[in-house]
Amino acid sequence: MSEQQPLSQPLQTEEPLLNDQEMQFWLDKAVAWGQADSPDTQKDTCLHMSRLRDFLHQLLTQVNSMSSTTETMKRLPFLGQLLGQLCWNPYVTVCDTSRGLLLGCLWGLYSERPSNAVEKKANQWIRKVLCQLSTEEDETAAQALMKCTGVPAKEYHLKVLRKKVALLQENVGQSCTLFNSQRCSCDRIVDISEACIPIVTCPEASSLISLLLQRPVACVTEGLSEDFLNALTSAYSRQGLALEEQALVSLWYHSFSSLEEAVLSLLQSVITTGLTPQKLEQQVAQSLLPKACAQHCSIFLVVNDIFRSILKQAEGNESVKTLVQTFTKCFLRELALLKPQTSISVKAFFPQSPSSLLVPLLTMPSEMPQGAWRNHLNWLSSSLQRLTEEEEEGDGRSTRGHHNVFEAWFLLVQCAHWVQVAVQLLVTSGTEDGDPFLWLLIFYHYPTKRWHHRASQLARAKEAWNHIRTLFSGAAHPLPSDRLQSLGTLVSPQPEQQSFAPSLTVSLLVNVAVFCQLPPSGSAEVLQAVVDQSGLLDEAACVLSSLELRLNEGCCLSRDTVHLRIKELQKTITQMHSE
Amino acid sequence: MEAVLKNLASTVEMLAVAAQSDAVNHWDKQTLSRAFHWARYCEHVFSRFHNNAAIRRIMEKQLQLTNQTLRDTIPGYTEVSFSDLPRCQHLLLVRLLNNPELPSSLMKILFDTTRPVKTMHGDYEDVTGLCSHIVQCKSVYKVLSPLADMSALGADAEVQGEMLMERLEALLNQGSETCRAEQFLGSVLQGCEGALQQFCLVIAAALLTSKSCTAQTAAHDFLLDWLQKKHSLLQYMCSLLSPTLLKDLAKEHQKLRDASCNVLKKWASEMEYSLSDGEWVLTSTGPGVSFKKLTELFLALFDASPSLRGDVEKELNALKISDGDFDVTGLSVWGDLLSALNM
Repeated sequence: MSEQQPLSQPLQTEEPLLNDQEMQFWLDKAVAWGQADSPDTQKDTCLHMSRLRDFLHQLLTQVNSMSSTTETMKRLPFLGQLLGQLCWNPYVTVCDTSRGLLLGCLWGLYSERPSNAVEKKANQWIRKVLCQLSTEEDETAAQALMKCTGVPAKEYHLKVLRKKVALLQENVGQSCTLFNSQRCSCDRIVDISEACIPIVTCPEASSLISLLLQRPVACVTEGLSEDFLNALTSAYSRQGLALEEQALVSLWYHSFSSLEEAVLSLLQSVITTGLTPQKLEQQVAQSLLPKACAQHCSIFLVVNDIFRSILKQAEGNESVKTLVQTFTKCFLRELALLKPQTSISVKAFFPQSPSSLLVPLLTMPSEMPQGAWRNHLNWLSSSLQRLTEEEEEGDGRSTRGHHNVFEAWFLLVQCAHWVQVAVQLLVTSGTEDGDPFLWLLIFYHYPTKRWHHRASQLARAKEAWNHIRTLFSGAAHPLPSDRLQSLGTLVSPQPEQQSFAPSLTVSLLVNVAVFCQLPPSGSAEVLQAVVDQSGLLDEAACVLSSLELRLNEGCCLSRDTVHLRIKELQKTITQMHSE
Repeated sequence: MEAVLKNLASTVEMLAVAAQSDAVNHWDKQTLSRAFHWARYCEHVFSRFHNNAAIRRIMEKQLQLTNQTLRDTIPGYTEVSFSDLPRCQHLLLVRLLNNPELPSSLMKILFDTTRPVKTMHGDYEDVTGLCSHIVQCKSVYKVLSPLADMSALGADAEVQGEMLMERLEALLNQGSETCRAEQFLGSVLQGCEGALQQFCLVIAAALLTSKSCTAQTAAHDFLLDWLQKKHSLLQYMCSLLSPTLLKDLAKEHQKLRDASCNVLKKWASEMEYSLSDGEWVLTSTGPGVSFKKLTELFLALFDASPSLRGDVEKELNALKISDGDFDVTGLSVWGDLLSALNM
C-alpha cells in the first residue's frame, strides 16, 4: 500500500495508537488458536477471553474514532487479519459480548460509500465473511441431507446441538464408575464443566449446567471445575443467567463465593430500604436462601457465619438483627417442611450455640400455653445472666467465656420472638416483678457491656420505663411536659453521651401504647406526643407492624380493645408520616 | 387454492429479486420482515400439502411455470423446486446475504447480537438477530463437540440419520411411490460424494434409530434392501464400522447381519498370505480390512447372533477341508480364520 502523506496536518496530534505489541500478541494468539484444537488450546482460549474482550473494546473505540476505512487500515494494518481469524473461533463467537464487539469492529471497517478500491474490497470481504459465518456448511453430508430432506440449516444446527447436549447429559447422569480401571468417570465431568465455561449464559446449555450442578457428589474427585463455578457466579450476579431453584441451591452448595454474594445481596436489598415486616419476610423467602439452608446444613452454617461477622461489627444495627430473626424464622419453616425426609438433629444446625438454651429458645411462643411464658422467660433470663456472670468472673481476657456469651446472644437474636414476648409481658405484668424481662431486653440490645455498665443501663431503662408508664397511666391529663421532656432527652442523641437504646425505648413505648388501659384515642395521643418529642416515627411504625404481625400470626390474643388500639395507633402514625 | 398458487409464485419471484436484483437496495426492516414472512408461508404450504399427491402436482406445475418465466428474464437464475420449499427462509437468507446490493443497515439488523426478542414488528415477526443466533448456535456446538459422549457415531451422524429416516418414512407412507424413495436415497448418496465415510455413518445411524412403529420397520427394510443392491457401498461400510457398531447393527437387522457376513467371507476368500508380513492380507483394490479386523468383525457378528456362529463354523470347516484340511498357518485362510476365531 503506498503511503499517502496527509496533506495539511502538521500540527495534528495522533491519538495514542493501540500498542503494536498488543496487536501482534493477539494476532499470534488468534492464529495459534485457529491452527490447533487440543484441550490445551481450549483452556488457553478460555483463560484469555476476558482480556480479549477488553482488547476488542479498545479496538472498537479506536476504529470508530477513525474517519475512514482507509485511515483505519493504515493505522491498524493487521486488524483485518485479526478479525478474520477471530470470526472463526467458536469461543469468541459463542459469547454475546465478544461476538458483538467483533461484529462492531467489522462494521467499523465497512464503508457506506467506498471511495477507493481498498474500501470496496474491504466491503466485499466483510460481506463474504458474514455470509459464510451464517450460511456456510463445513460438512458435505450435512448439506446434502439438508437439501434432500428439506430441513433448513437453522433447524438442523439446533437439532444437532440439542442432541449433543442430551448425549452429554447422559454422560453426566452416570454415577461414578471406574473407567478403564484407572481413573473414575468423574474426570470427564470436570472436562465437561470446563468446556461449559464459555457457554454458561447460553440457554441451550442450561439444562446441561443444571445437571452438572445437581449431580450428587459421589467420590473424592473434584466434580466441578473451580473456574466453572466462578463463571456461573459472576454470570448470575450480572443477571445473565437463569437457573432453576435446585440448580441455584446446588451452585451455592458448591461455591462459597456465590453463596456469600447471595447473602450480601440479600442484606443490601433489605437494609437500605425500610421494609415492613411482611415485605421483609417475603423478600427473605424469595431469595431461596432459607430453603437452601434447610436442604444443606453447611449452607446454613456459612450464612450464619456471615451474619455473625456483620453483627460483631455492628451489634446495635436493628435492621440486621431483624433480618437475622426473620431469616431464622423462614429457615425453621422450610426445615419443618423437609422434616419427614431428614433425620438431622437441630443441634447440627446450631453447633456453636449453648445446648441448654437451644431448644428453649427455638420453641415458638405459640407452641406453648400463654400461662407458661412468664416462667419460661424467667428461666431464660436467669440462664443468660448466669452465663454473663461466668464470663465476668473469669479472667477478663478469657475468650472462652466471651465466646459463650456471644453465641448465647446470637441465638437470642435468631430467636428474638422471645424478646418481643418479654416486652409484652413486662408491659402487662402489672405489679409483678419485671426485672428479669428488663434484664433480657438490656442484654439483647447491649450484649457486650460489662456488668457495671449493664447495671447503669438497667437503671436508665427503669427510668425510661417509669416515664412511659406514667405517661400512659391516664392519671395525668394534660400530659406532664416534664415527663415528656425527660423521656425525650433520654432517648434522643446527645452530643456528650450515646442515646439510650432508642429501639428498646420505642419497643416499650409501642407495647405500652397497645396494651395499656387507655381508650384508643387517648393512647394514640400520648404516643404522638412522645414520638413528636423524640423523633422516632419510623421505628415506632416498624415495631407496631411487627407487633401486629406477631399477634395475628399464632398468638392467642384476640381482645378487641387491643386491636382497636393498634388500628388507632396506625392511623396516627400514618397521619404523622404524611405531615 | 388459486390464492395459494399466486402466493407461491410471488414468493419465488421475491426470492429471485432477493438473489440478484438491486431492488433490495430499497428494502427496509419492514420489507425484510415481510419477505421472511412469505418464505415462512411457503414452508407451511409444503408441510400441509406435500403428502397430497394431487395438490403437489398442481404446485409443481405452478413452480415450473414461474421458474420458466424467471429463467427467461433473469440470466443465471437458480430454480426453486417444490422440495426446496421447506427451506424457503434459508434460501431467502442465502440469496440476500450473497446479494451485494443488500443494504448494510439490514445486514446489521440480521446480525444484531442483543438477544432477539420475538416481537411482532407491525404484522410480521421480527427478524432481528436471526443470523447472530445461527452463528451462536453453531458456536455452542463447536465448543461442545470435542467432548466425548455416549454416542459411537456422533451427534451429527445421529441427527442426520434421524433426518434420513423421517424423510424416508414420509416418502414410503405416500403409497406405492417407492421410486421416489429410491430417488431420494440416490440423491443423498450423490450429494455425499467425497464424504462417503460420513454417509456410511449416517446409514448406520439411520438403521439404529429405534423401531417405534411399523412405518419405521418398513423404512428400515427399504433402506436395507437398497443398501444390499449397492455392493461396493456395503463393502465400504463394513470396512469402516467398528466391531461394536457392527454388532449393534447386526442385532437389530438380520438382513444386514447376513449381508455383512457375506462381505466378510468374500474378503477372506480374496486374501493372500504375505510371507513378509507374516499374515493374510487383501491385495485387491477397494475398501478392505486387515486379518485382525476381519476376525474382530466376525466375532462381533457372532456376539450379535449366537446361532450364526454354528453356521459359519460349519461353512468354514467345509472350506478348510476343501483346501486340504491342514493345520499349518499360512496355507488356508479358512483354517487360520477358524483358529483365530477359536473354533
